Amino acid sequence: MALYGYAGKILRLDLTNRKAMVLDTERYKSWGGGHGLGAALFWEFCKDKTIKDGRHPANVCCVAASAVCGTGVPSATGRTEVVGVGVGYDGINWFTRSGFGGRFSTMLKYAGWDAIVIEGKADKPVWIDIRNESVVIRDASGLWGKDTWATQLDIWKLIGIETGTHTGWVALDDLKDAPKRESGDAGRTTQKPAIVAIGPAGEKSGHGALIHDAGNGAGQGGFGSVWGSKNLKAISVIGTGSVKVANPMALIQARQALKTKYITSYEAPDFRQWSRVGGLAKPLTQAPIPTEDRRPQACQGCVNGCRSRSNLGYGNESACQETFWYNEFAQKVAKSPNEMGELSLKVADLCQKYGINTFVLQPGLPWLEHLHEAGLLGPGKKIPSSLPWEKLGTLEFAEKFVRALATGTDIGRDLADGFVPGARKWGREVDLRTGALQFSYWGCAEHGYDPRAELEWGYGSIMGDRDTNTHCFNFMFTTVSAALAYALPIRVDAKELVEIQARKLVPYAKDRPEVFDFSDRNMYSEAVAQLVRWQQHYCRFWKNSALFCDLKWPDLINTNTPNLEGATGSDDAGEHVFWNAVTGDKLSLADGIRLGRRIWNLDNAIWTLQGRHRDIVQFAPYIYDTKYEKNELFPFYMWPCRDEKGNWAYTDLMGRSIDRKGFEAWKTTFYRLEGWDTKTGWPTERTLAELDLGFVVDALKSAGRLGKERAA
Amino acid sequence: MDDDRGRRADLMPAAVDSGLRAGGAGAASARSDMARRRFLIGVATVGMAAAVRPQLLLADTLVIPNAEGFLLVDMKKCQGCGTCMMMCSLAHTGEASYSLSRIQIQQDSFASWPNDIHMAQCHQCPDAPCVQVCPVTPVKANKPNPKFGNVRMIDQDLCIGCQMCIGACPFIPSRIQWNPGIGRSQKCDLCVDTPHLGAKGGPGGVQACVQSCPVGAIAFTRDMPKTNTEASYTKDLRGPVWKKLGMTTE
Repeated sequence: MALYGYAGKILRLDLTNRKAMVLDTERYKSWGGGHGLGAALFWEFCKDKTIKDGRHPANVCCVAASAVCGTGVPSATGRTEVVGVGVGYDGINWFTRSGFGGRFSTMLKYAGWDAIVIEGKADKPVWIDIRNESVVIRDASGLWGKDTWATQLDIWKLIGIETGTHTGWVALDDLKDAPKRESGDAGRTTQKPAIVAIGPAGEKSGHGALIHDAGNGAGQGGFGSVWGSKNLKAISVIGTGSVKVANPMALIQARQALKTKYITSYEAPDFRQWSRVGGLAKPLTQAPIPTEDRRPQACQGCVNGCRSRSNLGYGNESACQETFWYNEFAQKVAKSPNEMGELSLKVADLCQKYGINTFVLQPGLPWLEHLHEAGLLGPGKKIPSSLPWEKLGTLEFAEKFVRALATGTDIGRDLADGFVPGARKWGREVDLRTGALQFSYWGCAEHGYDPRAELEWGYGSIMGDRDTNTHCFNFMFTTVSAALAYALPIRVDAKELVEIQARKLVPYAKDRPEVFDFSDRNMYSEAVAQLVRWQQHYCRFWKNSALFCDLKWPDLINTNTPNLEGATGSDDAGEHVFWNAVTGDKLSLADGIRLGRRIWNLDNAIWTLQGRHRDIVQFAPYIYDTKYEKNELFPFYMWPCRDEKGNWAYTDLMGRSIDRKGFEAWKTTFYRLEGWDTKTGWPTERTLAELDLGFVVDALKSAGRLGKERAA
Repeated sequence: MDDDRGRRADLMPAAVDSGLRAGGAGAASARSDMARRRFLIGVATVGMAAAVRPQLLLADTLVIPNAEGFLLVDMKKCQGCGTCMMMCSLAHTGEASYSLSRIQIQQDSFASWPNDIHMAQCHQCPDAPCVQVCPVTPVKANKPNPKFGNVRMIDQDLCIGCQMCIGACPFIPSRIQWNPGIGRSQKCDLCVDTPHLGAKGGPGGVQACVQSCPVGAIAFTRDMPKTNTEASYTKDLRGPVWKKLGMTTE
């Protein structure tokens, strides 16, 4: 029977012994793909699950596609998941994840592979050359030290691929160093190989990102540094095959339903629509792009690209946070919005090329500026730094700053293992109490969505492994706050919004709108715990494993439809409709969420072996000890809340902190709902058995870390 | 844009070229070996065809009725999502693939707009060199289909896999694809033969690429473009909404 949606093979690479082996995907199908598949492979092949730094040679890094990659499923086709023990946090770097878009997973599938397991450490720098079934571990000494773009262009040349677009069909058999073939035909393509590479940051610091094409990055998790520690410079893949789809007509029709029903049209667009998936293609670039001569640019299969390529020769494919983190400083220097845009986009390019995780820079640079202004950091100061701090905001400063961080020089030397370990070296732990250093969970940079206001983000991060970076619900606050800031209409009032969204929250919180009540009186409630569970479980399967894009899914409310209901869970264009069309499965939305719970629990088993205990599940001190206050130009953190009488309204949540006792009570509730030991947070045998995770029980038992059943 | 940008400067003998343009000078040796092997295969295939119908190699140009449908593209608008390629392949074969797609979207991530994307669709050429060169007799495998607006279609049951049509296409990349799985050539039929589309295809019907393009960068027209060049098959499909989104309509 055909394994619809899957390529059928997993590539297992042993870098230490320079071996490539093949695993059968069918054995792992129950994990779906992506994170679930990667976690299962990590569990099987990582022999020491107590490691606390992703640069340990025992670490296993998995790069995984899903069944829907390469099939045309909207805003899911082009995502790739990366898992393994991370780098760059504080103390224990948890088993964690990251992901990136673009073309890699699609090309990987067309080459015949569902995932890549990377084990061991090469004795010298290598890159992996995948051409359909051919896998060669090649010498990367000529690539080491190069930036991520130069590396990719060099590999094109090494393979024999031309730059530019008006190129002919290329027969894989005719490429440089093509394997000799007795018979048959390896196929042809007009496409470039899809390459993921690391830059200097991955080679020399703990802030390394994986970069694919010009602007697809897996930054959080520090997987660039994981690859660097393994002497792995890049993986290149070119494929000429195809993916068999169980019901192609159903897939085409569901895609059409999404386009016509849930996405606003180019003919008569609603520019102010509220939805996740339903907008027009528009760059999420958060600095002005100083030209109209550009296009939107999308990951494979996306319905509305969120990046751009222009005629300017800079800023191409960068979007969102990497185009934003330097704005605060650039705007002090730039003489016009266009100049600021140019500056921020050129800085984004720098980060892409150095292959650095830009998330650490966002709260990191303001903290360093604070130390500089306090006279603690600079030339001849207690914390010596020869960076040109007087030029902060310029391109020159940014280049020197990013280079220092990426190469472990200047202040980058002390910050190479993470900003929080760096702060400790400098005797600046106090900054985690005052909030001068906003690394709020696990030594991880706060995303810009403060846990004191945005509960599901904060709770999801601290119950997980790093900044959760899942935008399931936070679009509510960004949409409402933006409407208020720009005097746009409030399209849906708070009560209607939460009620419509709650219709989709199977199986934990269906028709329970109170889960969205983030008011002070509800912030430690069972309802909010259910919301966090829903988000983490939904994401672990539908986003991180099936690989639906975080920026488009779930689509819970949608003003493009007559009844305002979004595509999520719908019978015509829901996530499960696409999944089933591709695989032939009969999953429901809730089935996927249950699978997500299983994957989330496997993650927790790994965290437990790494050393997690309820006692260390704590935010940085400033989250408890200080109130969330920023200079608001407008009501910034608007979230649906109920008042004493139960009336819903969008309410500004600035100005509060998290109460330690309240959070402890919430943790107990969360653990109880998850079926974890409420005293330790460890998985219990009963829950593991219930989730068909019995195979992890022995490992937890022998480590003395199997949870116990507690009376309620 | 240069009118002849995508058109081959040299029309190499089909059997030698076979539509292949491997990149990079260093690939020359391997390419030359493979090209020679294909040349021999090609010669053998043409030889067989000529034996069946000796006049083939000397035949005059056929008079071919014009197609009644064409695809136009806007290369400045395309977002490079590849959806058209996957939907094309799915609608025709039930499998998603770049290589089996009848429309090819080529991208260079490190190039700048508008040279970062090239959309390569079949022109349904008036003179149809791919039809002209098809050696299959007594009925060509590649021919206009009068039942469907004279769309140039390759009959997979008749195709002998000689690849001469691939080499005859005057554009780069060739708008005829080689399907190594079945050893046949294939080309755009404006979705006439799409068992998985779920709608009537062909002229007057639906085309998977047009239907699925998220930004409307591909359009169907019954009006034959003035000249058989990429420029003539390109149309500004952006309009005022595009301008409102902050992107050029020029």
